[in-house]
Amino acid sequence: MSEATDTPVLRARALRKEYGKGEGLVRAVDGVDLDVSAGETVAIMGPSGCGKSTLLHLLGGLDRPSGGEVLLNGRRVDNLSEKALSRMRRADISYVFQSFHLMEELTAVENVELSALMAGHSPRAARRRAEELLDQLGLAGRSRFLPSALSGGQRQRVAVARALSNQPLVVLADEPTGNLDSAATLDVLQLFNELHEYGQTLVIVTHDARIAATADRMFSMRDGTFVDETRLTGGTTGKLGALVGLGD
Amino acid sequence: MQQEVVLAMLAKEPSYGYQLRARLRDALGPLGDAMNAGQIYVTLTRLEKAGLLAAEKSADGADRSDRKVYALTPKGQQRVAEWIAEVSWPRPDLAEFHLKLIAAASAGLADPIAVVDTQRRELLRRLRDAQRAALAEPEHSKAALLLEGVVLRLQADLRWLEACEKNWTHRRSGS
Amino acid sequence: MGRILLVIRLALRDFRRRRTEAALLLIAILAATTTLTLGLVLRDAASDPYESTRAATSGPDVVASVGRSTDLAALEKLASAAGVTEHSGPYPVIGGKLEVSGRTSDVQVEGRDATVAVVDQPEVTQGSWVSDGGAVLEAAFANSLGASVGDPVTLGGRSFEVVGLAVTAAMPPYPGASCIVAGGCVNGAIPEDQNLPQALLHNPGLVWLTQADVRSLAAAQAPISYVLNLKLADPEGAQAFVDATAGGHSGAIRMQTWQSILAAATELARDSQILLLIGAWLLGLLAVASLSVLVGGRMADQTRRVGLLKAVGGTPGLVAAVLLAEYLLVALVAAAAGLVIGALAAPLLTESSAGLVGSAGTASLTVSTVGVVTAVALGVAVVATAVPAVRGARTSTVSALADAARPPRRTGWLIALSTRLPVPLLLALRVAARRPRRVVLGMASIAVTVSGIYVLMVLNTFLGNQPGTGAYSDAQVTVLRHVLGVWTVILLLLAAVNAIVITWATVLDNRHASALARALGATPREVSVALATAQVLPALVGAVLGVFPGGFLLFAAINGITGGDSDKTTLPVPWQLITLMLVTVLAVAGLTAVPAHLGGRRPVTDVL
Repeated sequence: MSEATDTPVLRARALRKEYGKGEGLVRAVDGVDLDVSAGETVAIMGPSGCGKSTLLHLLGGLDRPSGGEVLLNGRRVDNLSEKALSRMRRADISYVFQSFHLMEELTAVENVELSALMAGHSPRAARRRAEELLDQLGLAGRSRFLPSALSGGQRQRVAVARALSNQPLVVLADEPTGNLDSAATLDVLQLFNELHEYGQTLVIVTHDARIAATADRMFSMRDGTFVDETRLTGGTTGKLGALVGLGD
Repeated sequence: MQQEVVLAMLAKEPSYGYQLRARLRDALGPLGDAMNAGQIYVTLTRLEKAGLLAAEKSADGADRSDRKVYALTPKGQQRVAEWIAEVSWPRPDLAEFHLKLIAAASAGLADPIAVVDTQRRELLRRLRDAQRAALAEPEHSKAALLLEGVVLRLQADLRWLEACEKNWTHRRSGS
Repeated sequence: MGRILLVIRLALRDFRRRRTEAALLLIAILAATTTLTLGLVLRDAASDPYESTRAATSGPDVVASVGRSTDLAALEKLASAAGVTEHSGPYPVIGGKLEVSGRTSDVQVEGRDATVAVVDQPEVTQGSWVSDGGAVLEAAFANSLGASVGDPVTLGGRSFEVVGLAVTAAMPPYPGASCIVAGGCVNGAIPEDQNLPQALLHNPGLVWLTQADVRSLAAAQAPISYVLNLKLADPEGAQAFVDATAGGHSGAIRMQTWQSILAAATELARDSQILLLIGAWLLGLLAVASLSVLVGGRMADQTRRVGLLKAVGGTPGLVAAVLLAEYLLVALVAAAAGLVIGALAAPLLTESSAGLVGSAGTASLTVSTVGVVTAVALGVAVVATAVPAVRGARTSTVSALADAARPPRRTGWLIALSTRLPVPLLLALRVAARRPRRVVLGMASIAVTVSGIYVLMVLNTFLGNQPGTGAYSDAQVTVLRHVLGVWTVILLLLAAVNAIVITWATVLDNRHASALARALGATPREVSVALATAQVLPALVGAVLGVFPGGFLLFAAINGITGGDSDKTTLPVPWQLITLMLVTVLAVAGLTAVPAHLGGRRPVTDVL
């Protein structure tokens, strides 16, 4: 596992997002502070409607905050123009979605190379990188398959490969296992574990404790704010026996 | 270690004590690390005294317990059969934590939500450990299945904690 | 009762859920029903206009005239000839010049009784019938002069007031009038170097006055001719009657049968009817294109709805009723609105065609028109419903529920090709490749429009060259131009609606893909450009196909039907065709810009 350094890659300060007005005002995100260091995996957990997805959208520039700041590598990004935000999504930040969001008519490798093509890489370079990533993620033999011919777990792997194709600073994952059964969840779990060990900075929004448990830190979110932070590093397997009534 | 488990592990064939231990280790994986070797031999001796096991000294004649071959007596076999047929299940002891929250709240000893948070942190750490252990297991390992059970239980417990927190938050804001 | 309410409620809910689509569906069906209404109304108004005029005015079977008072007795004798059942006249006729608001035209002036004649009582379309000092102008003539009821006119130095406009079956309408004056007439354009006799009337119009007024004018002016209208026992034998009686009068009496008037009167009508027919066909094709896009787009959605209804216990009958109810509602509204709009718009066209063909029948909704339009609208509804309803009844509830939206097509080589292009083109090509059928429809729609415009251009040039060649008079050219103009407007409107419908369907269909492209780093501009380009590229192809072979073939077809001679026409020159294509592409780009812009700006997070 790579050591997390102290410089925050992604930083949020007093981040707010409000919808509606007057009586109908909804504070979806209400004053969130967050520092994510390079190589760190951070999980955000909470019940549905707590604002965790909105927070993720704000962090990735898919949505604009009502107040507060988002900084990427120390640079403010919440007030960037739409065009600059697009450039940021091409190069620095990528998404993994709950429902994969793969293009149904494109094969696995075509889906993966899409981000690289958007970023202006040559078709050949984009294809090579896409094949490499699929290879690394254990989908080498399936690169010419359409998403409909892949299992849920494999589809999410393709989506992750796409997210990684431009070597982003941060990968934001929104309920990456929300649409998967337990076997596929395990598959994706394994994948995030590998990413973590590889040193990829990850922010995962989830309501699945298992996914959250792969993180270095876990935030509990309630009504738009973080109510608790848990540092998960440390601990030994020695205590495990107690969990099943073994040992003393 | 439950006596019946040890008996049942011998049902396949008479075995040396170390063979028995290896079999248990294989089935439990990293969870078996907590297992105390001495404890198994204590259990074996007890079972032998109760007439459920017969111990034969090994060929070299040494009288050490790990050099003995243990086999089930007919009475032992009957006990194993009964145990297999039994419907027993470890009771989850949730009442204690539940009462802890109520006591903490009513006597003003602690904020029940803080208690829940602390507990959750602990459970998440355990979950992380169990999960890491599960992911480290080779494919088709017997122990992985057990670890999966641990993970699922912890998940269930965490969900219950979520419900506790929601409930106590509601009570606090409601009162 | 409860079930009917349920069905209606479900249908209304579905509309509220997808208002834009419902509105576009309505517009498309509306365009079709309006077109159909117009077509039918015009067909009624223009079909056999001479026949309807003949019936309305008790048109004569034979019109006989003499140029001298001395032959009057012979003419009067005709009235009692064998085979004649009824007659009117003889009426006095003189040639003259009519002046109205600064314009002068030759006229034949017929003196009539204020009372109703049993044969050839011209049908007054505006104002009233003749009275002393009051003139009635033939409708097409008045139309071309721009004269209307109440206008003062000067005839032979005397002032009259236009008291009415009327149509008659005794003479082809202006400017094809047959000659019943002694001096003789000449129709068509006259070569300038030719000197005509003083008495010869050039393109004379027809004016009715009272007999007294005609006689008093005649005293000061020209010699009086006389005209007699005859009804025969055997109208079909009019020519035989003429042959039999003409011999005995040594040619002093000129006679014209109703068949020869009919032939002269409907020459122009036939041409304009062909124009209307072609226009209706083009519009029909465009309407079908937009309907297919909309209904096709909703199909997948409906399949899932069927699954849902069945899952909660809907019988196949109920399912069909719910599906049908939606389209029936749209179709009925569209039919009603189409009938109203069509009926209101038709006079714009029939006004000119009334003048053109001299029809007494005004354009109006007949029961059969209402029936046909409604039936067609409902037919569309049933056809649109049939496929999903049958599919819904056949497929199991489970698979109907699982049926995702119509999966996009995969066109491998296009996807591979697009990787080499800049981002907006890459996206555009993929957007287009997802729905090849829609691209074809878009292309076809543009091709149809452009070939229509091509033909209109040819005809326009042809009409522009007319003055001087003699085939059509100025007035006829104006009228034909008017018809062409109205059809051009409708054609362009429907083509515009089509372009918007197709773009909108594309935008809706690509909601998800667009949002995803933006999440992956495409700018809103790139997405908007891609969505618009996906329409503009097929439009360019459509425009090219519309010129060649579309317009070329269509024009050849028109020539084939009308028996026209293509040698007489000038085909558009290359620069005109290139301009046409460019303008088409620019117009499509302009029309698609707004929906594409909206599609590109849509917040990503709402969609994903």
